[in-house]
Amino acid sequence: MQHRSHLVHRVWEQQMYHKITMAMHHTLILLIHMVMEIQDTRDTIITIRSSSSSLTILAISSSLTTPAISRNLTTPAISSSLITPAISRSLIIPAISSSLIIPATSSSLIPATSSSLIPATSSSTLTLPIHNLWEHIKTQTAGGYPSSGYSNQTTTWSDGSYANYTPHQYANYTPDSSTSAYSSGTVTAPSSHYQQQQYKQWADYYSQTEVSCAPGTENMTVASKSNVGCPIPGVSSGYSTSTSQAPPSYTPSWMPESSSSEFSSVQPAAGISSASDAYWQHGAPSSQIHITSPMQPQSQKPLDPKTSYDSFLDQQKAAYSQGHNLQYPATHQVPQSYQSPANHQVPQSYQSPAQTVPSSDTRRVSKLQIPTNPRIASNLTFGLPKTDKDSSTTGAAVKPAYISISQPKANEKVLSNDAADSMLKPGTFPKSLCGYVERALGRCKGDMQMEACQDLLKEMITKATADGTLYTRNWDTEPLFSLPNVDAVNKDSLQSSTPGLSLPKYKRSPSRRSKSRWEPLPEEKFVDKSASVVNDTMKYGGWINANDKDRKPFFGNNGNKENNMSGMKFSPLDQKNASKIAQRPVKKQRYADGFNVADNCDASSDSDKEQSLTAYYPSAITLANTPEEKKRRENRSKRFEKRQGRTESNQFKPKNAGAGNLYSRRASALVLSKTFEEGAARAVEDIDWDSLTVKGTCHEIEKRYLRLTSAPDPASVRPEEVLEKALDMVHNSQKNYLYKCDQLKSIRQDLTVQRIRNWLTVKVYETHARLALEVGDLFEYNQCQSQLKTLYAEGIEGCHMEFSAYNLLCVILHSNNYRDLLSSMSRLSDEAKKDETVKHALAVRAAVTSENYVMFFRLYKTAPYLSTCLMDLYVEKMRYKAVSCMSRSYRPTIPVSYIAQVLGFITARPRNEGSDVKDSDGLGECVDWLKAHGACLIADNNGEMQLDTKASCASLFVPEPEDAVAHGDANLAVNDFLTRTSL
Amino acid sequence: MAAYPGMSMGEAHRRITEYLNRFSDAVSKQDAASLRFLLSLSSNSPFLLSLADALNTFHDSSRLIKHSDHYSQFSDILFNFFRSLQTYRLANLFDSYQAFEKSANAFIQEFRNWESAWALEALYALAYEIRVLAERADRELASNGKSPEKLKAAGSFLMKVFGVLAGKGPKRVGALYVTCQLFKVYFKLGTVHLCRSVIRSIETARIFDFEEFPKRDKVTYMYYTGRLEVFNENFPAADNKLSYALTHCNPRREANIRMILKYLIPVKLSIGILPKDWLLEKYNLVEYRDVVQALRRGDLRLLRHALQEHEDRFLRSGVFLVLEKLELQVYQRLVKKIYFIQKQKDPTKAHQVKLEVIVKALKWLEMDMDVDEVECIMSILIYKNLVKGYFAHKSKVVVLSKQDPFPKLNGKPVNS
Repeated sequence: MQHRSHLVHRVWEQQMYHKITMAMHHTLILLIHMVMEIQDTRDTIITIRSSSSSLTILAISSSLTTPAISRNLTTPAISSSLITPAISRSLIIPAISSSLIIPATSSSLIPATSSSLIPATSSSTLTLPIHNLWEHIKTQTAGGYPSSGYSNQTTTWSDGSYANYTPHQYANYTPDSSTSAYSSGTVTAPSSHYQQQQYKQWADYYSQTEVSCAPGTENMTVASKSNVGCPIPGVSSGYSTSTSQAPPSYTPSWMPESSSSEFSSVQPAAGISSASDAYWQHGAPSSQIHITSPMQPQSQKPLDPKTSYDSFLDQQKAAYSQGHNLQYPATHQVPQSYQSPANHQVPQSYQSPAQTVPSSDTRRVSKLQIPTNPRIASNLTFGLPKTDKDSSTTGAAVKPAYISISQPKANEKVLSNDAADSMLKPGTFPKSLCGYVERALGRCKGDMQMEACQDLLKEMITKATADGTLYTRNWDTEPLFSLPNVDAVNKDSLQSSTPGLSLPKYKRSPSRRSKSRWEPLPEEKFVDKSASVVNDTMKYGGWINANDKDRKPFFGNNGNKENNMSGMKFSPLDQKNASKIAQRPVKKQRYADGFNVADNCDASSDSDKEQSLTAYYPSAITLANTPEEKKRRENRSKRFEKRQGRTESNQFKPKNAGAGNLYSRRASALVLSKTFEEGAARAVEDIDWDSLTVKGTCHEIEKRYLRLTSAPDPASVRPEEVLEKALDMVHNSQKNYLYKCDQLKSIRQDLTVQRIRNWLTVKVYETHARLALEVGDLFEYNQCQSQLKTLYAEGIEGCHMEFSAYNLLCVILHSNNYRDLLSSMSRLSDEAKKDETVKHALAVRAAVTSENYVMFFRLYKTAPYLSTCLMDLYVEKMRYKAVSCMSRSYRPTIPVSYIAQVLGFITARPRNEGSDVKDSDGLGECVDWLKAHGACLIADNNGEMQLDTKASCASLFVPEPEDAVAHGDANLAVNDFLTRTSL
Repeated sequence: MAAYPGMSMGEAHRRITEYLNRFSDAVSKQDAASLRFLLSLSSNSPFLLSLADALNTFHDSSRLIKHSDHYSQFSDILFNFFRSLQTYRLANLFDSYQAFEKSANAFIQEFRNWESAWALEALYALAYEIRVLAERADRELASNGKSPEKLKAAGSFLMKVFGVLAGKGPKRVGALYVTCQLFKVYFKLGTVHLCRSVIRSIETARIFDFEEFPKRDKVTYMYYTGRLEVFNENFPAADNKLSYALTHCNPRREANIRMILKYLIPVKLSIGILPKDWLLEKYNLVEYRDVVQALRRGDLRLLRHALQEHEDRFLRSGVFLVLEKLELQVYQRLVKKIYFIQKQKDPTKAHQVKLEVIVKALKWLEMDMDVDEVECIMSILIYKNLVKGYFAHKSKVVVLSKQDPFPKLNGKPVNS
């Protein structure tokens, strides 16, 4: 899946480059409009130059820019691959000429305002008093800026820009009459609305853009938007969700949208754009529902300024920290090549600031890639509610209050931050360098190359920074490096990851992930429950996932985890945790750069305010109030506390207090699994298997599988005799595989927690392995097989031979690893070699290695037990190989009937004259198959179908599987669906 | 424990002190050779054996170590080494390994601090000792029914040593030795995928030219990487590396040459180069004789028979699948022979080989294959460019190209 989306994305990117200029124009014009309008506001005016188009634009200064503007700007910037992070910073340092300066979006984004402006704006210009929407800005910044401006937030603050966000302008892109309601300074309920509105408008806008100019741009915008959303929600529950959730799980629902948007980027079609548009709108209503409810009361309540200020502070902190979040993950991306995922786990290994510096370029690149994931779109939708909420809370506070008080604080933070970041400021990159990078990347074809180039560029820039030539070198004349040999580069990057780091750990986790396909999905809940606060959290969960997913594709093999990790680690978990959050990033910072942030103490004092803060977050309260949740949370926090104490330097400290049940459970499960992976020695404090060997007392035969997140409760564990019955029940059940799989997993779990390892265990695993084979669920099969291997090794009776044959087949057919095959073969005992099943498997092995298709299909027909099922999975490959071999070596034609017979389409041989209905069916099937694979069929004089070998030789291809899904595993999607419907 | 016969307390004390003195002398004079001698646990040198006895007599060696400033700075190394030696003498290999690893750990700490690479020889000794000791400790563990895991531990220790050496500077020259020890560990453990990271750091480092490494290490390294390439079925690369090892290794070390040939011969066979019989005889590689013979004659039966006979050996060394793939070349040879015979009979029709003729030929070899199967094999031969021509399905005839119908491999692997 990753790969695919990646590819698509690349194509898209490529196009983007070509269209950048056009997009730029467009945006610039918009900007100019805006600027003109804003001029009466007393804000400073910054000159924005777009490197690619070399147009100079006046943009609104520090504080107030409509999101639209900023985004617009960002888009081209991103696309040109010049600036992203720079944007925010460039604001601060207007003098810097770096290619594109985008008005400090961070502080200035007031969505509400913008929406309110919309009605009036229909023509072009509207200046609006922004007053109360302050909080919006913040939220926006926090979440939104991850993508483009890392720490812009901070910067802006220091700027003192807060004071002046008065006039706010919403781009006239989408004059939407519906929005009119929100025009005035009403902060309250509508605010949530605004955003949706706004988004909708965005969608509209995008589609417009798309049509008019660069299709790439549209996408870009979307991407950036989604980015915006990502960090925040990711923060809240993100940790658990992101990792544990199976990527495919919500794919189905979002798939269409994403694909459409992506598609549109490639091919700007009006219809498509409208589709995405629709999507946006669709997203809007849902968010509307709940957000409004929490907001109303709050905003109406006259809050005493002090509290509000507090909350504001917290908020600020949160935002601040979020900013960090964003920033840091991004930074990590930079080192991409040499940073193994493990780095994240081990804070010490964070790069020094120096390393980070060059990274900005990479960051930008990575950002470009973010849109890769089709699911980004979902981010957007989900992200909105969060923002709203934040804003609502903050909204209660009176604006002036923050300004005066907050400023110094902000400054302080900024300072520390700046110290760290000053080097990072992409804004400081010379324009020529940006151009250079653009040129370099523009040449790339294919994703591999692109990645390789990025790496090279990163290296170059790092080097240049290190030896101080970054600013002195003439990038315009710098020769482009030769396009990297992708393989070589890959190797390099691999190599650079420290060998000692525990890569395998990470590698394993994807499989873990897919497990969660059995769990209900966030969307499900979303739909089920109306307007409740829980919903919100849920949504965040969704967000996170999306977030995590977004990035994954980009990282590819190297670092895909790291981002997740960082997201989890540093993202604020919940509003409730806002203060804690603030702390965390600080810590991270310390790890990362080795400098101490002075405001640590602030953070701690903030944590005291957590309580008071909670009061303003209805959602948190609600969650806290359910007794169940309370209990659970207690347990959890205990665990985490212990963990923290024990592993001070250890990377992440999950605190997912506010997350929904589901997510929290998942989170803790994740922690557990993590710790297991890390080596049992550490942590897993509350799982001491010795003491937990329970004796079950549950007498229900049927039980759903639920991954344990805490010590097993004897009351829900079935004793052996009940498990036996349960196994029988599964055997005799008429229900589908998903049901059986679920049941068997719960049986396996009960066996495991009771440490039962005997014939029953073997039987359960064998049963499950066979069932899995029948439906081709290799994932479950492999789990069972590996368990069976150890069980057999312990001397427990079972169908040892049968399964060693399966094992052999599996290695031969599906892993295709020469060494594995050798070792499995040499491990076979003499006795085993005499077994029919094993013999068959060995014969299949011989046929496969010699590519002897005749032999293979003969063996296929005579396969014992479930060997057929395993071979089934290889048939397509073998047939294709066979046909390409035949069409190369036969001349001039081969009768299709012969092919059908040799390749196992027909069971009976034609010369046996057993030509019954079945045979002709087989023949037809063969014809269809050949046609589907691009073979040229002709009829000879007798009307018999022949394969024209010479023509087919060049035209054969492997068709895309019809049931292909973007995430690469059709099974998962179907299962997801079925789990939700059938259980 | 009772004092060993013939070793008085004073004698024991004297020997221990002597060892300590020699150790600190070696360090202060940077005399790697004697340091190496002092650390070679398994060398069974009389000096170390008597020291071990002395240690078993005189229990308070740690006091002696702490006694003088000369030794006390090496107390971690020496104390653990003594314990290791002591337990080694008592054939308690598990404990011996444990102590030795601690001692070696302390040693590399010291080594890290020494600017020059003078102690490389001693470090080599440690790397070698720890691997050998781990293997023996594992054997002991396995015989006691415990899971053998010391070799794995030795592997990670060696990785640490590699890390110390692999950077820039004069110590890098020792990295290849450690790499080779690591290879040995990984090949024994069957975790050859772990070799990759080490190889990468050896081969991609530009600061150090491969040729600057000591010759013996280069040969060992090439041998192991060549074997890895055999696993990957990358025959040209395997050929390069193994040939390098063969040409550079000490010609008097026949055992080493044999080890190299064991892999080089199958590799050469698979790229169409056959060894002379005397080579097989000289290095006692008779298991390949029939395989080579089969290739010469196009005798499929002989090949299968040879493979079956030595299956275990071939599977263990990992060349089984390589040899099995020679089947195609045997078929090629068979068809070629048929072609020659036909050419003698009737040169004009020689390029048309009837399928039934081939089937018949195989029958004579007692290979019972039906027409479809043989047709499939012919098709594969053509597809893989072992035979030039085409197959006419209707008439069941292999029509050979008039020019070079049986292209030689000439050092290139069979297309796959």
